[in-house]
Amino acid sequence: MVLVGVAVGGALALVAVLIPWLPPADSTQAHKIDDLYWFVTIICVVIFALVASVAVYSIWKFRAPPDDFDDGSPIHGHTGLEVVWTAVPAVLVTAISIYSGVVLTQIEDVPAQHRIVQVSAQQFAWSFTYPEAKVTSGQLTLPVNQPVELTMTAKDVIHSFWVPQWRMKKDVVPGIETNLIITPNKTGVFTVMCTELCGLGHAAMRARAVVMSQEDFQSWLDQQKKAAAAGGSAQGKTLFTQQCGTCHTLADAGTKGEVGPDLDKVLAGKTADFIHESIVNPNAEIAAGYKANVMPGNFAELLSDQQLTSLVDYLTKTAGKG
Amino acid sequence: MATAGPPPRRGLKRWTAGGWYRVLWVTPLAFAATAVLVIGLRVAFRSAQGAEKWHTAGFGALNPASGNFFSFPAVELQVLIVAWLVIVPLAFLVAIGGFDYWAYWVSGRPTRPEDHSGHGARTWKDYFRINTDHKVIGVQYLVTTIFFFVAAGLMAMFMRAELARPGMQFVDNNTFNGLFSVHASLMIFLFVIPAFAGLGNYVIPLMIGAPDMAFPRLNALSYWLLPIAGFTMLSSYVVPDGGAFSAGWTNYVPLAVQQPVGNVFFQMAVQWAGASSILTALNFLVTIITMRAPGMSFWRLPLLVWANFATSTLVVVATPFIAGSQFFILFDRILHTHFFTPGPEGGYAIAYQHIFWFYSHPAVYIMMLPGFGIASEVIAVFARKPVFGYRLMALSLMAILILGFSVWAHHMFVSGMSSWLRIPMMVTTMLIAVPTGIKVFSWLATLWEGRIHFKTPMLFALGFVTMFVIGGLSGIYLGAIPIDIHASDTYFVVAHIHYVLFGGSLFTIFAGIYYWFPKMTGRMYNETLGKLHFWCTFIGFNVTFFPMHWLGLQGMPRRVSDYSERFGDLNFIISIASFFLGASTIIFLYNMIVSWRRGEPAPSNPWRALTLEWQVSSPPPIFNFDEIPQVVGSPYEYGVRGARHAVLNGSGAHEEVVEPEKVRVH
Repeated sequence: MVLVGVAVGGALALVAVLIPWLPPADSTQAHKIDDLYWFVTIICVVIFALVASVAVYSIWKFRAPPDDFDDGSPIHGHTGLEVVWTAVPAVLVTAISIYSGVVLTQIEDVPAQHRIVQVSAQQFAWSFTYPEAKVTSGQLTLPVNQPVELTMTAKDVIHSFWVPQWRMKKDVVPGIETNLIITPNKTGVFTVMCTELCGLGHAAMRARAVVMSQEDFQSWLDQQKKAAAAGGSAQGKTLFTQQCGTCHTLADAGTKGEVGPDLDKVLAGKTADFIHESIVNPNAEIAAGYKANVMPGNFAELLSDQQLTSLVDYLTKTAGKG
Repeated sequence: MATAGPPPRRGLKRWTAGGWYRVLWVTPLAFAATAVLVIGLRVAFRSAQGAEKWHTAGFGALNPASGNFFSFPAVELQVLIVAWLVIVPLAFLVAIGGFDYWAYWVSGRPTRPEDHSGHGARTWKDYFRINTDHKVIGVQYLVTTIFFFVAAGLMAMFMRAELARPGMQFVDNNTFNGLFSVHASLMIFLFVIPAFAGLGNYVIPLMIGAPDMAFPRLNALSYWLLPIAGFTMLSSYVVPDGGAFSAGWTNYVPLAVQQPVGNVFFQMAVQWAGASSILTALNFLVTIITMRAPGMSFWRLPLLVWANFATSTLVVVATPFIAGSQFFILFDRILHTHFFTPGPEGGYAIAYQHIFWFYSHPAVYIMMLPGFGIASEVIAVFARKPVFGYRLMALSLMAILILGFSVWAHHMFVSGMSSWLRIPMMVTTMLIAVPTGIKVFSWLATLWEGRIHFKTPMLFALGFVTMFVIGGLSGIYLGAIPIDIHASDTYFVVAHIHYVLFGGSLFTIFAGIYYWFPKMTGRMYNETLGKLHFWCTFIGFNVTFFPMHWLGLQGMPRRVSDYSERFGDLNFIISIASFFLGASTIIFLYNMIVSWRRGEPAPSNPWRALTLEWQVSSPPPIFNFDEIPQVVGSPYEYGVRGARHAVLNGSGAHEEVVEPEKVRVH
């Protein structure tokens, strides 16, 4: 039986270690969570190996031929064994609880120096505001190795913010503010996804998250401020890439979203007025094969007049030309 | 001795006596009367106000794009639907005769003498009417729940077809959201919970030596509430505006308040299913407490009875909370209250989750504890051994019952609720693993030095023990808050719930159905087909659900109709496996139907078990025992020379004498 247990335990351990179960750990919080994960995994592998080995051994050793009419040994119990298998799991789960509590405190610790980004979720888009710089973007851009506090609220129903590589997740609830502390420690491009069913477009509700060096981040922020002040097609392109690209394909912007129609196709030859209407009142005319009520209908409020103009400008010059 | 069935009715009597003929005219009448009442009141109210008399009740759904979430052009239709969903089922229950006896009594007329003609089944027709025999009701429950199991399973097949490749191929987002919402609701409220109620209904009075339940008429009514709930859920698919309810079976607000009118069908169906569940639980509790045969102390109760005792307590205490939570949503929708809708009026969305999960966590124990009881029965009989640690097994059921009320917010770790609540909830969640572990280890110890016979019930029971351990361990991961922060709302949770509900509850339901099939039908099921069913199910189940642990940790959220390209191949494999799993159900259905009609006649005790239900014929006499049995010992004394559980005098059923013990020498 010991052999079976070792075999099962070994096999499980190989499965646990060789298959990449967890995504890369790209935040300081992720590393701590992953350590806890491995602690729990070791315990679970041992317990399952124990259960499997006793079960497999018993099934083999104590099987009765079909014509056997005997009963088994009338073992009613064994107090010692029952005490052990009550106490040991109790100790194990207590250990896991304590370790979890410690990790929780660590990952939710709010450092004195941290940046605040306001997150707004609505059906079916994300929007990120940098309050000091007064910049709003459809893309979450963050400097590496700096803790950021996301203060989040929703406009309509409950959504949930999650980036798998950062591990941190929290529901975004209308009427209250919820918070997350994240310290990304690797540059790269990530995806923010919504993890609370929010309606028709739940599966499509994603946003781009980019982690860059601190200098690059500062330039990005300055660039956003300037673009917001200057307006025009250039700003339009940035806006499009960040806000619209997750769902729409547009060759000029290099985006490949497939949730909504390919704008190169559906906006070809359209007037600026038509493009404007498509943004602020998407349900007025839906492209063939697509459904109403997935594209947010409140861009007239979400975007300033100037942002809207620059976006329409940009689209007229690119998709509209085709 | 069995009496003749109900006297055949002729002429007008057929249409006025309780039954389907009366249903045929009363139900449409109730529909019409309700419509007249609701619309009439509205017209009268409007004209009193001086507004235009007739506001065309548009089917317009709320348009989130307009930002105007709380204007309800469809309120008249919604109100009408709610009124229908309350009045028409009541009319149906009255028409089919569920309240006849009480109506006569309440009206002061002389009640009809107890001739028991409405009790028991002699032909197939007796299964389709109000019947006070717990054995008939048990079968009614099982057949009905299997129907909804198949319906919900087909919905799962549709979902897996859609999820086989990235992108949308077969259904649109709204239909998909409806599919997983109705799938889960049917499986929970119309399959697992009532299937255990049905098995319990059949077996418990027999196991405790009683002629029937404490309240047979209430029992009949409890059953008939169930098809009403199922029909309500299924009919939400044909609602013209928006289709089936699609906010998940958890129906979180504000989404539930915002959704089109199909959502109301979920809220109302839950009320009917909840009522059925509560009434059955009351019946079980009173029966178990007051109707045990002489000599059957609590410490001589079979563990199935202990398990149903604990479950019934859970049902009675917890179910009103889900009813309340759905009523609050209904009021927010039609009365414009603000229990949950955020705004200056002070609604709080997370409050719904607390109320909902306060029931829905105990609900998962409602869905598992009877299965624990079945596992104990089957493992003891097919290993020919007493249940190891019987007293601790019974006490652990009680511990799970009590602790089960203290863990609800572990479903809400990432909800944004008060953060201090998370740690206590984690502690209680971890602690509940201890009594559950005790049970698993005891089942394993019951196998030790047994004489194991691998009949289909035993295969499912053994499959249950191992699969439930996997589900329980993934629950430990989810109970550790930092891990839950990553894994919550992903396919990791979908894997966990299916390991405990499919590998746990469903396996024990199958074990129970196969185990008691000879008793219920008087025929043996086909053992080869049973084994085939088990292996196909076991393999299909693991290939379908184990990879979902990986998908969730890697970043696939749940309740999504589409996903990232890189998950495409694994989703494809899972979908194929799920079709195989779905197909394995056909083996089961075929076995059940053909064996019931043409299976080998079953002896009273094919499994040589000691519990009381096996001491009477298969199927049992209409009133179970010709004489009250006398219980003299434990129900699990296998291997003990001369031990007896009960003595039945001159009942005509043969006595099971335990074989003399043959000690195995190592």
